Amino acid sequence: MGVLRVMTAGGDRAVKWDPRRAEAGDLEARAAILEAERVFAEARARGATAFRVTTDQPARRIDRFDPEAEQIVVVPQVAGG
Amino acid sequence: MGDAPLLAAAIGLLVAGLYLTPGLACALLARYREAQRAGRRAEALLRDLLTPTEYARLTTRGYLEVRSPSYPGRVYRVPRDGGIVVVYQNGRAVGGLCVHAVEPIPVPDTVAMHKLMIEGAEATYLQRANHLSVGALCRYGIGFVYER
Repeated sequence: MGVLRVMTAGGDRAVKWDPRRAEAGDLEARAAILEAERVFAEARARGATAFRVTTDQPARRIDRFDPEAEQIVVVPQVAGG
Repeated sequence: MGDAPLLAAAIGLLVAGLYLTPGLACALLARYREAQRAGRRAEALLRDLLTPTEYARLTTRGYLEVRSPSYPGRVYRVPRDGGIVVVYQNGRAVGGLCVHAVEPIPVPDTVAMHKLMIEGAEATYLQRANHLSVGALCRYGIGFVYER
């Protein structure tokens, strides 16, 4: 299972997908990936930064949505205070 | 007779107040519950992103230590309350960073944001941050807070 978590004022917005089921041609699973991809692109267009998060490893910045990722966390654009 | 308009206005205000107050109270309560839910979600995400040891340290010490991936000996101390990040080089405080999200996010998400940015996009993080000197940190009393 993959999960995209976008930080928002109301806590993170999560979109989940199953890459194996999508690969097997499951339409619902494919739709979930498309939805995650859309949310990812929408957040990136607002200046957000995305990170691929893997257990026990440092986060890695990504610029493109990766359906094979275990978890992607998107943080809003940052600025100096 | 001359007091009639004043009395009418006072009654009008009272009626309006009685009508609006429950609505206002409900709206405030709903807002409060929403903020609590957001805080719980953000806390769950933070717990998920940290190792059990990191989370325990954050809880007991009040800050999260994030090692710099590109500067040997550098550690960033991210406060639990989302305030100024203190930069340590070989165990000594060398400055502070003021960075915030341009969109509102719950405080626990702010801690996660710092960790992710430092680990995965340190150059961008440093470029966007407002850098503070050690002197400025002392003026804010930050050094004292972090010597626990």
